[in-house]
Amino acid sequence: MAENTAFSSSGADAITRTLDVQPEQNVASPSQLDQYYEIERTIAEILSGDYKRIALQFPDELLHDSVPIYRRLKAGLGAGRDLYVLADTSYGRHVAVGSCCVDEVAAQHVDADAMVHYGYACMSQTSRLPVIYVFGKKLIDVNDCAQRIAEVFDGQRALLRLDVAYTHQAEQITTALRQALQVPVSTPRLSLVASPSQTPLESEEAPENIIYIGAESLGLTNLLITHSDCNVYSYDPTAKTARLESGRTNRLLMRRYAVVQKARDADVFGILVGTLGVASYLPLIKHLRALLARAHKKSYTISVGKLNPSKLANFMEIECFVLVACPENSLIEARDFLRPIITPFELEVALQAEQSWTGRYVLDFGKLLASSDSEDTPPPESEDLDQPVFSLVTGKYRHAKRYGVTDKGEETATDGDQPSSSVILRNQDTAVALVDSAAAQFFQERTFRGLETRIGEDAPSVLEQGRSGIARGYGDDS
Amino acid sequence: MVNFTVDEIRGLMDKPTNIRNMSVIAHVDHGKSTLTDSLVSKAGIIAHANAGNARYMDTRQDEKDRGITIKSTAISMYFKLPEDDLDAIKQPTKGNEFLINLIDSPGHVDFSSEVTAALRVTDGALVVVDTIDGVCVQTETVLRQALGERIKPVVIINKVDRALLELQVSKEDLYQSFSRTIESVNVIISTYHDAALGDVQVFPDQGTVAFGSGLHGWGFTLRQFAARYSKRFGVDKDKMMKRLWGDNFFNPATKKWTTKATDADGKSLERCFNMFVLDPIFKVFDVVMDFKKDQLVPMLEKLDIKLDQDERDLEGKKLLKAIMQKFLPAGEALLDMIVIHLPSAAAAQRYRVETLYEGPMDDESAIGIRDCDPNGPLVLYVSKMVPTSDKGRFYAFGRIFSGTVRSGPKIRIQGPNYVPGKKDDLFIKSIQRTVLMMGRYIEPLEDCPAGNIVGLVGIDQFLLKSGTLTSSETAHNMRVMRFSVSPVVQVSVEVKNAADLPKLVEGLKRLSKSDPCVQTWIAETGEHIVAAAGELHLEICLKDLEEDHAGVPLKKSDPVVPYRETVTTESSIVALSKSQNKHNRLYVKAEPLGEELVKAIEDGKVNPRDDFKIRGRLLADEFGWDVTDARKIWAFGPDTTGPNLLVDITKGVQYLLEIKDHLNAGLQWAAKEGVLAEENMRGVRFNLVDVTLHADAIHRGSGQLLPTTRRVMYAASLLAGPTLQEPIYLVEIVCPETAIGGVYSCLNMRRGQVFSEEQRVGTPMFTIKAYLPVSESFGFNGALRQATSGQAFPQNVFDHWENIQGSPLEKGSKLEALVSTIRTRKGLNPVIPALDSYYDKL
Repeated sequence: MAENTAFSSSGADAITRTLDVQPEQNVASPSQLDQYYEIERTIAEILSGDYKRIALQFPDELLHDSVPIYRRLKAGLGAGRDLYVLADTSYGRHVAVGSCCVDEVAAQHVDADAMVHYGYACMSQTSRLPVIYVFGKKLIDVNDCAQRIAEVFDGQRALLRLDVAYTHQAEQITTALRQALQVPVSTPRLSLVASPSQTPLESEEAPENIIYIGAESLGLTNLLITHSDCNVYSYDPTAKTARLESGRTNRLLMRRYAVVQKARDADVFGILVGTLGVASYLPLIKHLRALLARAHKKSYTISVGKLNPSKLANFMEIECFVLVACPENSLIEARDFLRPIITPFELEVALQAEQSWTGRYVLDFGKLLASSDSEDTPPPESEDLDQPVFSLVTGKYRHAKRYGVTDKGEETATDGDQPSSSVILRNQDTAVALVDSAAAQFFQERTFRGLETRIGEDAPSVLEQGRSGIARGYGDDS
Repeated sequence: MVNFTVDEIRGLMDKPTNIRNMSVIAHVDHGKSTLTDSLVSKAGIIAHANAGNARYMDTRQDEKDRGITIKSTAISMYFKLPEDDLDAIKQPTKGNEFLINLIDSPGHVDFSSEVTAALRVTDGALVVVDTIDGVCVQTETVLRQALGERIKPVVIINKVDRALLELQVSKEDLYQSFSRTIESVNVIISTYHDAALGDVQVFPDQGTVAFGSGLHGWGFTLRQFAARYSKRFGVDKDKMMKRLWGDNFFNPATKKWTTKATDADGKSLERCFNMFVLDPIFKVFDVVMDFKKDQLVPMLEKLDIKLDQDERDLEGKKLLKAIMQKFLPAGEALLDMIVIHLPSAAAAQRYRVETLYEGPMDDESAIGIRDCDPNGPLVLYVSKMVPTSDKGRFYAFGRIFSGTVRSGPKIRIQGPNYVPGKKDDLFIKSIQRTVLMMGRYIEPLEDCPAGNIVGLVGIDQFLLKSGTLTSSETAHNMRVMRFSVSPVVQVSVEVKNAADLPKLVEGLKRLSKSDPCVQTWIAETGEHIVAAAGELHLEICLKDLEEDHAGVPLKKSDPVVPYRETVTTESSIVALSKSQNKHNRLYVKAEPLGEELVKAIEDGKVNPRDDFKIRGRLLADEFGWDVTDARKIWAFGPDTTGPNLLVDITKGVQYLLEIKDHLNAGLQWAAKEGVLAEENMRGVRFNLVDVTLHADAIHRGSGQLLPTTRRVMYAASLLAGPTLQEPIYLVEIVCPETAIGGVYSCLNMRRGQVFSEEQRVGTPMFTIKAYLPVSESFGFNGALRQATSGQAFPQNVFDHWENIQGSPLEKGSKLEALVSTIRTRKGLNPVIPALDSYYDKL
C-alpha cells in the first residue's frame, strides 16, 4: 500500500472508510429471499430476453443481500450467462436513502446487455439497456389502508399512486379502496421490465385527487409539487396513518419560486450532470445549453457525482446550478449550498422575459423537451438589451452581464457546441483578451494572484525546520 | 394669472448667482404646504382668494383628503427684489431678478426620506415652526439632516394667529415664546458646527427669522418693520432691526432707546419688539375680532391699507385675513428673506462640493461643481423619481451641479454601485427631454444649465431611485443619500389570482422606484415583501401598489419586523471547524463590535473602500482598536459593506493570503444568514485566530474553505452569547396633563420606556418621549387615541437596534420562542442547530 505523503493520500482511506448505512432487514430465510426478491420472475425475464451478461445493481442498503441473490440467480440461470454485482452507487441523492436510478454507465463497464435493478426505483426511462426492476415486496395491510384513507378522503374520483415496493399489491389495494370510498379509483400500471425503446407511461388525464401509498419520501414531494392543483392523500403503511398532504404544496412551490428569482439574477450557470441513466438526458443538456446561450448566459457543464457543498463551492464563478437528474432527485433544498440549485423546468421559467408562476411544475425530461420544442420561437429581442432588470432578490436594479455577444452586437456561435480550439485573441499588451470568459473575469477580481515575488523587499531569513505530516495530523500535533 | 413666462425663467437659469434652491421643512402639521401656497400665490400662479386652503403643492388626491403631504413637490418661482433691497444681499448678484426653486416636503416622520431627497438638491431650507407646538421631534430630525448636507436654514414661526386668537397671550408672553423657540432651534444648529458652512444660527434681528400665519397669508421679518420705522425715526435700517429684537426698550417720554427694562424712575418700559411690531398686529386683531367697526377706517388709513369694495363688506376672520394680507403680505416677507439670506446655487456649491462629490477635489467634475460652471462637464444628481401621467414611466428629478443638460448627446448614467473605471452599473444613453417641474404641471425646456433643478425624460429605466449623470469619463459618483429612517415595518403581499403575478412584480418595481425609502423584495419563503418606515407609510405604499402600480387585487399579511443577529460577549472558547476533507482547520473567535462603530459603519463613516491606513488610524483613535488589528480587517459583511468584520489576527500562517477571498466570501454568507434564525448579522467581529492548511493548493480551495468559514463563524457566534436585536422607535407624544396617565399605561403595556416628560413652557401641553419596540407599535396610535380619548398624538421614528434580553439558547425562554417562530415562518427546523453541528473536535 502506498504511503501517505504530504501531497496526497494514497486513496486507501477511501477503501477502508465506513459508510453510514442502515442495512434493511427484509428477509429472514432463503425461501423468503426468493419471494421478496422475485428470483423466479427475474430468471424468467432473463431467459425470455436471452441476455448473456447481466448487471445486478443494488443500493447500499441492500448490498448485504447481493451474494445470496447472486447465488440463487446463478443457480437458476445455469452456465453461459454472466452476472455482475454493481456495488458502486455514484449518483442518487446525497443524503437520503439510496440510488433510484439505473446506472447504465456502470453496467456498460462490464459490457452488460441487461440490468436488474433492486430496491426503490424512480422508474425514469432508460436510454441504453433493458432493465428488469425488482422492488422487493413490502407488506401492507390492505384493509387498514383502505379504512384510514376513507376517513380522510373527500372527492369524486381518485388516482392511486404507490411506492414501487407496494406495486405487487396494487390490484388488492385498488379494489379495497373502491369498496371503501365508493368512488372510481384508477391506477397506472407499472411495467416491471423496461426497454429503451419503450414510450413512457402516459395515463394522466389530470386527476382531481391522488392517493399515495408509501412512506414520506422525495417521491411524495415530487408528486405534490407536480400536482399542485389536486388533493394528495397519503398513507404510510409502516406508521399506518393517512392524511391530506396538499397543505404544504403551496409553501413548497413558493420556496421554489424564490429560488427561481435567484436564478433570474444569475449570469453564469453550471449544468450539473446528475444522471447518466435517464433517457434523453443528453438532448436535455444540449437543449439547456442552447437555451442559456440564447439568453446570453454563460454555461459550464459539470459532473461531480454525488453533490455536496464543498464540491460545488469550488466553482465560485458559477452563480446558479441547473441539476439534470432523474425526477426523484432533481429537487434539492440548497440551504447548505452557497448557490441555488434549480431544475431544468425552473431554468426555463427563469429565462422567460415575463414573470410567471402558475403552479404548473414539470420534472419529466420528455415533457419538458416536448413543451419547449412546441414553443421554441426565439423571444423577440426587446428594444434595449442594455437595460437593467429589477431584481426581486435584492430589490434593486441589476445590470446583467451578457455573454456570447461581441462588442458590435453580433452574436458569436450560440449553439454551445463550438470547439474550444478556436484561436485565442490577444490584445495589444499581448495579454489574452478574455472578453467572454466568466472564469477569467472572476479570477481578475480575486485579490490573491499567486505568489508574490518581493525581490529586494524582504531580508533573507534563516531556514527553519517546518512541520511534517499533513494538516489532518502534523507530526508536532499533540 | 401667471405673471412670468417659462422663457423668463429660462433666462434666469443662466445666472447661478440669482438662483435660490430651497426646501420647506418642518414637523407635521406645522403648516408647510399652506405657507408654500402663499409663496406660490405671490409668484402669481394661483389666485389670492385661495391662498391658505388650496394646497397647491399637494398633487395627489389622498394628500388632499388626508390634509398631509406625502410626496415632495417642486416649483419654480420668479421674484423681483425691489432695487433698494439689493444691498442687503451679502453675496454676488446680477440684477434684481431671482429664480426660486422651491420644494415642499412632507412633515410626517414616515416620509422623511422624501425630505432627504429634497434636501440633496437644494442649498437652503425654510424651517417652519408652530408658535404653540414649538420645536418637535421631526423639526429636529430634518434640521439635523439639513445641516449634515450643509444646507443653510432660515426659520419662520408660523400660526401666530392661533396664539392671538386661541390662547389670547400677552405681547410679552408671545415675545418670550418666540425667543424660546428660536433658542431651541439654535441649540440644535450649534451642535452641528461646520467651519465651511460658517455660523448658521438664526436671529430675528439679522432677518433670518420670520413670523406669520400661512393660513391667513401674512408674515413679516423685522426688515419690513425696520424699513417702516427707519424713515420715521431717521435711523439706519440695520440699526433699527437690531433695536427691534432682544432687550431693547423705548422710552416714549424721553424718546430714547435703552437696553434697560426700566426708566430712570423705575417705571417699566415696553420692549421695542412689543411696541413697534406686535402692537400694530394686536390692534388689528383687536379691532376686527371685537367688531369695532368705527375704529376700523382710521386704523386702515394709519396703516396705509386700501381694501377693495367687496373686501370691505367682510367680517370677522375673513376681514382679518384681508387686512393682514394687505398689511404684511407673507409672500413678500418670505421671498425677501429667502433671496437675501439663503445662499445662491453658485455660492453654495463652492462649499458643498466636498460633501457631495466622492471623487478627488481637483478633477474636472469637482472643479465644475465648485464653480457651478455651465460649460463644465455635466454632473447631475438624480435624487428621486416622479411618476408621469404615462403609467409606469417616471421623470428623473435632480439637480445639475455642473455643465448643461440637454436632450440628444450621450451621457453616462452611473448607478449607486458604479465604481470608476469599471463597467458595472454604467449606461451610456441620451436624455429624451428636459422639463421644468411646476407642481402639478411640467413645462418643456430646451436645455438647463448648472445650479438648477430639472426633470428628465427617458432615463428612468436605468436608475432605480437615484444616481449620477455625467459627461466626464473620469467622474466619480455623487455621494449617496443617507436616510434618517429605515424600512423597519414589513408585510408580505400576494396576488389573489395567480395570473396577476407579472403585474405584481412590475408593480413592486414601480413602487420601489416611486419612493426613495421603500424596499421590495422576495423572501426565501417565496413571499413578496414590502418594507416601509412606518405604519402610515406602509399603508400609503400598499394602497399605491394595489390601486396604481400593480392594479390587481392583493392579499396582505399582518406587519412583521426584521431582526438582526448579534453576540453579547467574546466567544468563551476558540471555535474550531474542519473542512470537509479534514485537512484544513479554521480557528475563530467572535466578539461584539460595539454600537458606536456599528453606527459609524452604517453611516458610511467607516467603509471598506477607505484606505486601510487611514481607516486603521480612525479605528485606533476613535474606537480604541489595536492599530495592527485595525489594518488587518479583511472584509465587511454582508454585501461587502455591512457592519460585521472579519479580522486577521493570526501570526505567521503560510498561504494565508491565498484563502483570503474564500474566507471573505464565507463572511458574506454567514453574515447574511445568521445562525439563530437566518436573519442578517449586525455588530459582530470575527477574529481569525489561527489556520492550519493543507500543503497542497488543491486541498485548500474555495470548496473546502468557504463552507468551513460559515460553519466556524456559526460556532463562534453560538459560543459568544448570541442574541437578537430588534428595531426601536423613538416616540414623541404631545398631550394635555389629563391624558398622561393613559399614555403611560399604553406605553407600559407595549414594553415602552419613557425617558423624558416635559411641560411646554407657556402651554398646558406635555411632551413625552419614549422608546417603543417597533414590533409593539402596530396599532399603537389607535390604542393611544382610545386610552386618551383622542388627546394624544404620537410620532414614531426609527431610532436604534437594541439587544433583546435573555438567551435564545436557554430552553423555554421568551427569546427562544421568538427565534423558533421566525425559524418556523422561514420553513426551518424550529430548533437552533446545536454547537456540535458546527464545532469540530480536534
